[in-house]
Amino acid sequence: MYDIIDAILNRTLGFGWPGWAISLLSHLAVATLLFLVAPFQMLFLTYYERRAIARMQDRIGPNRVGPEGLFQPVADGVKMFTKEDIVPAAADKWVHFIAPCVVVAPTMLMFAVLPWGPGMVPVDLNVGLLFFFAISSISAVGLMMAGWASNNKFALLGAMRAVAQMVSYEIPAVLSLLAIVMLTGTLSVVSLIEAQAGLFISQIDVPGIPDLGLGWFVFTPVGFLAFIVFFIAALAEGERTPFDIPEADSEIVAGYMTEYSGMKFGLFYLAQYVLNFLLCAIAAVIFFGGWQGPGVGWLYAQAISPANPEGNWIFNLLAGVLGVFYLLAKTYFFFFVMIWLRGAFPRLRVDQLMDFGWKFLIPLTLVNVLSAGIWVALTRWGPAEGIGFTANWAPILRWAVAFVVTLALNVGAYLFLARIFAASRAEQSRIDIDEYRDTLTATLR
Amino acid sequence: MPTVIQIIFGLIAALIVGAAVMVVMVRNVIHAALWLIACFFGVGALYLLLEAEFLAVVQVLVYVGAISILILFAIMLTRQVTGEGVRQLVGGWRLWLISAISLLLFAAVIVPTVATHPWTITAPPGPPGTPEPLAGVAELGRGFVYEFLLQFQVAGILLTVALIGAIVIAFEERARRRRVLTLAEEYELRKRLAQRPGSDTPAGEALPAPRAAPISEGESQR
Amino acid sequence: MTSAIPLEAVLVVAGALFCIGLFGALSRRNMVGILMGVELMLNAVNINLVAFWRYLEPRYISGQTFAIFIICVAAAEAAVGLAMVIAIYRNWLTVNADTVDSLKG
Repeated sequence: MYDIIDAILNRTLGFGWPGWAISLLSHLAVATLLFLVAPFQMLFLTYYERRAIARMQDRIGPNRVGPEGLFQPVADGVKMFTKEDIVPAAADKWVHFIAPCVVVAPTMLMFAVLPWGPGMVPVDLNVGLLFFFAISSISAVGLMMAGWASNNKFALLGAMRAVAQMVSYEIPAVLSLLAIVMLTGTLSVVSLIEAQAGLFISQIDVPGIPDLGLGWFVFTPVGFLAFIVFFIAALAEGERTPFDIPEADSEIVAGYMTEYSGMKFGLFYLAQYVLNFLLCAIAAVIFFGGWQGPGVGWLYAQAISPANPEGNWIFNLLAGVLGVFYLLAKTYFFFFVMIWLRGAFPRLRVDQLMDFGWKFLIPLTLVNVLSAGIWVALTRWGPAEGIGFTANWAPILRWAVAFVVTLALNVGAYLFLARIFAASRAEQSRIDIDEYRDTLTATLR
Repeated sequence: MPTVIQIIFGLIAALIVGAAVMVVMVRNVIHAALWLIACFFGVGALYLLLEAEFLAVVQVLVYVGAISILILFAIMLTRQVTGEGVRQLVGGWRLWLISAISLLLFAAVIVPTVATHPWTITAPPGPPGTPEPLAGVAELGRGFVYEFLLQFQVAGILLTVALIGAIVIAFEERARRRRVLTLAEEYELRKRLAQRPGSDTPAGEALPAPRAAPISEGESQR
Repeated sequence: MTSAIPLEAVLVVAGALFCIGLFGALSRRNMVGILMGVELMLNAVNINLVAFWRYLEPRYISGQTFAIFIICVAAAEAAVGLAMVIAIYRNWLTVNADTVDSLKG
């Protein structure tokens, strides 16, 4: 962006502005663009979700406003804006006012490290992945503020459920990403995507076959298990069914949003959909190669880039469009899976949610981290690190051995843990029944 | 450019100190916790200004994302006694003594020491304008598994012990836990009470007053 | 950036934060308030460590490593401390540090 604005202002128009002004302008332009992208994504996603869930429930969904109901979200937005903004008399006014902002701001900040296409990333932070999750944990504070300031027991209950759920499921999410970070040895989101070029068998070049951009981590046993765990954790962080306990409308009205109306409610809604979009996008980026796909690498090789300053800008445009298309296609597919799960599953109880997170997902991800270590040792280490016996193997053989070993370890761990978990749940329900009987007899006596 | 950095530093310093003063002065404990979060943010921004970006991210992740949430949880679980009406600071001569100690520590010890100590600041090598060779995330990670391996392991053990200890301390025994009856259980109870031989009172009145269930998620998690 | 801001300025900010934290930890009656004061003090120490790392030896990682260990200890301390607050609240129905004095001779 810096180069484009520099080229337009200084070289074409001849203004001769200093570097910092160009830098400021380019950052402002990118920020404005992203701030426009977020609400439009939210508008589209609400429409998309309503139509998809309607189709699953054998309905039609919104189809009155505009062609096929496409302007329905705009109409809803206008309704939100014109509604009266009510603050409860007993509420903590300032905290009540600030809470929606504290929830929305982090979701907007998370766009800062999301790469849209080759060479199209707002900031290539070298701790990008960590930044993403650090920032997403801030919105928990906002939820807590909203729940407490409303001075309403449903709001407080909803906020406590939301925060407990977010804090618990952050651990499996981050641990599953740790496995991927071990495979690549980087925390930068851009390098993570670049590591996923090539063929299905990741990180091995077979001579004669062009870069198809399909070396996604999900095709390895480690990446696959990490993806499944990450997606489940993302459902919990984004408060999607079956983990929509914090705003379970049949139990606690609307959770922490109960006392909000008008545009403040709209902000919570916005934050939620943008967060879901971002979680889907980051899942696509980390496990499904983001903008990687057949053709992007070839196009970008001929475009203007730091490696190739003599390229043609038309290839930049083409690679960008194709990259954004791949990223959005993957993201919308994951969002569709989220809707699908919403249509298919009932809501979990709080204790089931906690048990599942702490007793099943976290041990599974720990085993996965071990698998990632074995993978790295078998495919990359040599005599220098103390692994001598793989030195004479061909890369493809090392890859195959690592694949089989980690697959066996992960499947074994899954079967073992699933068995233990099922047994403990059965035991739990037996205790519950005993307790219920004891309560009854004690009360009757 | 130096002026811009100085202005930013001034704003961050004002945020840190102002928020910290609010933390210790505000009557409402929840507000104090929220100011504490603002203060943590300021410290994170200061780390960014000092070019320790990994630490800045860790600061946000650990302090804002975990510790402040813990504090807010603790306040809310004990909120019957942490309301606005309760006096929050110690009274009388003790308050004066503490203020005097803090002020003296700052004005008579810290500021003179900092001002008079001859600091030997390493000048950046090479011509001015070139980026300094700073220790980054990769060096940090390498340090944790080579140079500081023992400390790293000890920190891991400490965290494990703290995790287990916190659970043990805050654990409430099953027998002492009050349980909320579900609607189905309550219906069953009413039915059985109505069928009880010798009970001539209507089913609804025989039911003991519903036991007050404290509103906290901890109660229903088993 | 080391030329724009003197080291002393950063250290004075950290010192002020430490003294405010000390005042908070000593003067609050609420146990959660005391913990908040302690957290402020730990943050002040961390600022110091990072400033020393940046200004005095930017090529070595010891300053940042120490800061990370302190963050680690702070997390452990907060977890155990708040668990104790909840346990005390359950037994004494108070979070006032002065009233919990049954160990006094």
